Amino acid sequence: MVRALQISFFDWNIVPGQVSEFVGLNNYVRTIHDPLFWLSLKNTVMYAAVTVSGQLLFGLLVALILDHVSRGRVFFRTVYYLPVVTSWVVVSLLFKYLFNASPSGLVNYFLVDILHVLSTHIPWLNEPKTAFVAIYCLGIWKGVGWTMVIFLAALQSIPEEYHDAASIDGASGWQIIRHITLPLLVPTMILVMIMLTIGAFQAYIQVALITGGGPLHRTEVLLSYMYERAFRDREFGYAAAISYVLIGLVFLISQVQLRLLKSEPMY
Amino acid sequence: MKKTSLTIIGTLIMMCMVITACAPAATPTAGPSPTPVVIKETVVVTPTPAPAGPVTITFWHTYNEVSPENKMLVETLIPMFEAEHPNIKVESLVVPWEDFRRKLFAAIAGGVAPDLIRSDIIWVPELADMGALVALDEAMPDFDQYKKIMFPGPLSTNYWKGHYYGLPLDTNTKVWLYNKEMYDAAGITEPPKTMDDLVAQCEAIKKANPNAYLFAADGTWAWVMLPWIWSFGGDITDPDVTRASGYLNGPKTVAAYEFWLKMYKDGCFAPVILGSGIDPWTGFAQDLYASLDNGPWMYPIFEAQFPNKKLHASLFPAGDGGSINVVGGEDIVLFKQSKHPQEAMEFIRFALSPEYQLKMAEVGQIPVRMDLIESDYMKNHPYYPIFLEQLKTSKARTAHPAWSKMDEIVTNAGQLILRGEKTPQEALDEAAAQIDALLGQ
Repeated sequence: MVRALQISFFDWNIVPGQVSEFVGLNNYVRTIHDPLFWLSLKNTVMYAAVTVSGQLLFGLLVALILDHVSRGRVFFRTVYYLPVVTSWVVVSLLFKYLFNASPSGLVNYFLVDILHVLSTHIPWLNEPKTAFVAIYCLGIWKGVGWTMVIFLAALQSIPEEYHDAASIDGASGWQIIRHITLPLLVPTMILVMIMLTIGAFQAYIQVALITGGGPLHRTEVLLSYMYERAFRDREFGYAAAISYVLIGLVFLISQVQLRLLKSEPMY
Repeated sequence: MKKTSLTIIGTLIMMCMVITACAPAATPTAGPSPTPVVIKETVVVTPTPAPAGPVTITFWHTYNEVSPENKMLVETLIPMFEAEHPNIKVESLVVPWEDFRRKLFAAIAGGVAPDLIRSDIIWVPELADMGALVALDEAMPDFDQYKKIMFPGPLSTNYWKGHYYGLPLDTNTKVWLYNKEMYDAAGITEPPKTMDDLVAQCEAIKKANPNAYLFAADGTWAWVMLPWIWSFGGDITDPDVTRASGYLNGPKTVAAYEFWLKMYKDGCFAPVILGSGIDPWTGFAQDLYASLDNGPWMYPIFEAQFPNKKLHASLFPAGDGGSINVVGGEDIVLFKQSKHPQEAMEFIRFALSPEYQLKMAEVGQIPVRMDLIESDYMKNHPYYPIFLEQLKTSKARTAHPAWSKMDEIVTNAGQLILRGEKTPQEALDEAAAQIDALLGQ
């Protein structure tokens, strides 16, 4: 860790024993002028925004439904949780095949040949916009099970009396959810949001395996970009600087979110 | 503040995962040996003390795991070497070409570089410049003996700033490979001799099957583009590699890219070039792509995969600059981090022996010894003569430590052009300026 900080001030030669040139803050200044750094930052923020809200929304939805069904809960819980415990590498490759450009890609086959929603086969992973659709879908699908489990636990810790009292007062199902369940879930939601955001900023494997950051670096996220710089271009000093910027950002964001948690009234 | 440490630990764990994910996968032959430990920080990992018994040397290469080349190396050649040298064990590791540099750099940074690698000829200047390689002309007492018998072109790819950092292992170039059945169906009797022939052929191919393509390649990187650039009379830099302006954005190179753009737009060149659709070899075997340019290693692989198809070859179509393809090939280099340089050099000697070179020639690797290249074996071979003919005019990629970055700039320019985001002139002007900046460093 300290070593990485040290490296970030050098034009680092990775061969142990070779001389590295001290460049001061140059590596950090360089991030400001590097359009690809900004693009990967933007992509990372977008990834976090889309996947975190997606996971929160779908996770909550699934948790609410499962909380109300009495049969098959264990089965569905397992089904939704399975992606969470599956390796990123496996599911990334799976999604890569699903979104294959050729007519044999399952998503293309489904949308064009079965549903006829689209008229031609889309080369999903060749365009940044559509490639991100695949990456976002994967991020949400893989995380929903985790948020669901946390929400389910929180839901089950809400005392039955609250719901009973509300229905005696004549509240409908939706009103109960809107005015009793959701407010009680807010602290859990913020906690989940913090954890998910930290995770989203560290997205790497899915991008590396599905698009490799391409085409033209347009789907690069911070970690994949850092990795390219380090291990393809041997710019270890610059990569170390990027990783420190990333750490700083994640720290800042989680601080803001923590404030949010503290300012919420606790029930 | 607890969150910070969590974050930091999280990031660290992530980095570790990322890096360990790249530790090379073991091959079936991998004997017991210390697993390379790669850690995040660039600290030299203390080597495990050498066992008293035979020493193990590691050899990384990019032969496909299931390829005939790998089979020959692992099942025939290495056992042969180990039988002759009972004190040396050779651990062969398959590392895919796309991942090779990343894994290698991770290993070097961790102090656990392999003893030997079969390096793409274009990486040698970079590795030498980093200070990672042993200068073989100093370390091998019998270096001159080998230098004398090597083909000069491949030998020169090992030379960097006054020293030879390796020896050639194999050489190659690409030729025009065509699908005879598709040519016949389209009424084409002869392979293309000029670029103009390509335009006419494309019409015929499209008429026979509107879904077919004349040509396919797997990207816009220099390995794909250079034959076209050179055959049109263009280049990436000046001969002394001082600037790209006037070369990469010169009229001849621009003409090459304009030709590509037109062929791509007209549906002559397949969209797989930008990544979508069926890969070149499968499309070729399925009669979708009428031609490709590729190397001799594809013959044994193609034969194994598509036994009912035959490859037909001719020289690369000529433009204003002639019929020029790109010289490929690999060198064998020794790393300074090697703990057993003497044993590793013994393997280099073996790899350059006529036995090794001829065995590898059976699986598509053109030998680098002059005595073998001029032998009857090569001259009477079913497919080597056309490659040797093409090698007479083929040229090498730019020998420069920043080659990989130059290659990326070229790749991106090609993408921008084919995607229609920039005109050839605009994209190449920018690319030339970027390479100028690299070379100015």
